[in-house]
Amino acid sequence: MNELKFEDFKVNQLNVHIMRTDKFKTTTMVIQLEQDLKEETVTPTALIPFILKRGCSKYPTTQELRQYLDSLFGSVFGADVIKKGEKQIIQLQLEIANEKYLSDPTPLLQKGIEFLGEVMTKPLVEDNGFSSNYVKSEVEILKNKISSLIDDKIRYASQRVTEEMCKNEPYRLLAYGRAEELAHIDPVHLYTYYQQLLNENPIDIYVVGDVEPKEITDGISRFFSFTRNKVKDLPFNPVQKTEIKENLVIDQMKVGQGKLNIGLRTHMTLIDNDYENLLVYNGILGGFPHSKLFVNVREKASLAYYAVSRLESHKGILMMMSGIETDKFDQAVEIMKKQLQLMRDGEISEIELSQTKASLRNQLLETNDNARTMIDFAYNSEITGKKRALEEILSQIEAVTKEDVVRIAEKVEIDTIYFLRDEEEK
Amino acid sequence: MEQIRHEQINETLYYEKLPNGLDVYVLPKHGFSKTYATFTTKYGSIDNHFQVPGKEEVKVPDGIAHFLEHKMFEQESGDVFNEFANYGASANAFTSFDRTAYLFTSTGHVKENLTTLINFVQDPYFTEENVEKEKGIIGQEIKMYDDNADWRVYFGLIENMYQHHPVKIDIAGTVESISKITKDMLYTCYETFYHPSNMLLFVVGAVNPEEIFQLVRENQAAKNYEQQPEIKRFFEEEPTGVAKAQSVREMSVAMPKVMFGYKEKRIDISGDALLQKELTTQLLLDILLGPSSDLYQSLYEQQLINDTFGTDYSGEVQYGFSVIGGDTPDPEQLVQRVVDGLEQAKEKGIRTDAFELAKKKKIGAFLRSLNSIEFIANSFTKYKFNDTDLFEIVPTLEKITIEDVNVRLKEHIQKEQLSVSIIRPL
Repeated sequence: MNELKFEDFKVNQLNVHIMRTDKFKTTTMVIQLEQDLKEETVTPTALIPFILKRGCSKYPTTQELRQYLDSLFGSVFGADVIKKGEKQIIQLQLEIANEKYLSDPTPLLQKGIEFLGEVMTKPLVEDNGFSSNYVKSEVEILKNKISSLIDDKIRYASQRVTEEMCKNEPYRLLAYGRAEELAHIDPVHLYTYYQQLLNENPIDIYVVGDVEPKEITDGISRFFSFTRNKVKDLPFNPVQKTEIKENLVIDQMKVGQGKLNIGLRTHMTLIDNDYENLLVYNGILGGFPHSKLFVNVREKASLAYYAVSRLESHKGILMMMSGIETDKFDQAVEIMKKQLQLMRDGEISEIELSQTKASLRNQLLETNDNARTMIDFAYNSEITGKKRALEEILSQIEAVTKEDVVRIAEKVEIDTIYFLRDEEEK
Repeated sequence: MEQIRHEQINETLYYEKLPNGLDVYVLPKHGFSKTYATFTTKYGSIDNHFQVPGKEEVKVPDGIAHFLEHKMFEQESGDVFNEFANYGASANAFTSFDRTAYLFTSTGHVKENLTTLINFVQDPYFTEENVEKEKGIIGQEIKMYDDNADWRVYFGLIENMYQHHPVKIDIAGTVESISKITKDMLYTCYETFYHPSNMLLFVVGAVNPEEIFQLVRENQAAKNYEQQPEIKRFFEEEPTGVAKAQSVREMSVAMPKVMFGYKEKRIDISGDALLQKELTTQLLLDILLGPSSDLYQSLYEQQLINDTFGTDYSGEVQYGFSVIGGDTPDPEQLVQRVVDGLEQAKEKGIRTDAFELAKKKKIGAFLRSLNSIEFIANSFTKYKFNDTDLFEIVPTLEKITIEDVNVRLKEHIQKEQLSVSIIRPL
């Protein structure tokens, strides 16, 4: 029962993945609808989940919909849009209590599947379009969501450096789309576009919990009946810029702390054979509190509270990040660049290597204790088309040598140094 | 070793009080690969004036509990992060108003990691030099929070509500207040608050209770702790009324943010009565202002709120307050509409159907939270320090009646106890 594995099924050209486990007290369901991240469709795709969340033909008002969820012991329903590399993904998710642990034994799971089916396949429609009311109101809300990116300076700096690095690549786009395009969204066109997505884009449904697979597949074939044409193949093929020249960008704003983000190109993604080597490289550089960035920028130089590196392996970008005093910019950049050089020079101790492997192993094994992270991990195989078992990644990590890491270090190069600083003149 | 069985949710908790006064709890979590342990002292940012009977009365600079938390990670032998990293564990700590918690998660070597956790927290190593060095790091942590508008609007509200109580002091202190911290002050705080009789160890996950108890018993028996009399904590008398009805601050954000709420008049209750008060207030806020309520839907329709809007209630022995708010184009109008809605509800009372739904929803939410071993350990400790019990939540909820909620509504929602904190764009 507790062997953690997804069983795969095909229902109405939907990919259904079910994991039976009794370690959780709830059942988690996630629907993922995949689209290529591109200028023409990014904004309409972004808007759709927020409209679906407002109501459907069975629960036309948001209040009716919310109250129905409350009646299912407060099932948590979410609709969102995310970006993974150069893919944009609409996610609908529901987490519902397992009645086994409630004093009221009424079965909840079928109701949950039915609910998701209603929301996804029978939205509120008027005059062949989405409800104009919901479209109008969600356009405004999404506009605000996009502009409020600036409220969180750490996230803002990450987005700015991404835009600068990927000026001519789809990856520069936000998952939420472009504010200036929202004004032109038309409810009828949007609904037609959604029908097209439902008809031909890859859709994966994940279920994790103490469940009977047959009950799930029966429920899905009953409540997810809609026209499915031949499903499009959306190859995993993020744009890789090859000619890199170091670029410096400075933005000024009223802030107290400067945010330094250095974006690097790794020239590889999670489907490459070097992926595990890259994971170890990033871990030694800045993934953990024992890593070079934490030890040298924070502990030794006292320049920062956070000094880390993060990998976006669907695109192949690595980001070093730190929050510093404005006048410490040069010193911080120098220390960070020095760490990159040490990696290239093979100045990596046995302890750094073994601690990083142990920490990565722990991080990967921990994903098994959370339904969402297990789904996320499994879905990576689906969108890249390359199946990777956790055990396989773990054993590859074990085998990584210092020379492998140095080989990665030689490929990684700085693309853009970005600094968000205060408004004082330099 | 005492065994506490919770049949309905199928969990068993093990407990023992050690001779030196340390409370130890272990919760084996079926099917989990990860273990999470927290070692928590009942000592937080509000404990800035205290006395151990027989010793001198002491007042300490703001932010010292948090400073101490940072410094604990440094050992004579080096950085304790390295010891955890050897076994791949991920270690961390946090300081709140009333507690400081040290923690790790790991998917293996639990005994080694647990030994490291207990030993480093029980072995302080402060020098003039390492204390000075930390000031730069914490200075940047403070500046990071200063630039964080969501934190500032929340903290601004607490500052408005309280006239003297140290809950109004920022947990990390200020750059100025931490500049006064010395190694001797850290030792004084350490010796006062890190006695085992003031601490609680919680281990949850992939563990065998008997093995854990044996390890902790032996570890503690090998250390010499003299009995410590109860610590006296001094708090200036806090007047009932709020310090300030409103505050406005300008920051670089896209849209205004507002947080407002009611300062509790009646405090000084603990145990089951406190838990009942907290749950009743949370139900009340959810019924009147949750996503299923009339008011929420009408505010959302008019775009006075978006999905950042939420409510919360903190009920501690010494202080209590509700927090309502989010991003809004018009803070004054939003506050007015919510206050009017709450006043009307006082006249009309709560609807039975809404009450029943809110209760169901809260029971479901509790069940969901039990999937997170981090939640279990952190919340259990928080409740225990208030003489209440996390696992009493569902039985207590089941006892709450609609009359209780109506009484609580009239008691908590009182216009003169209202305070408002606003952030406006520059």
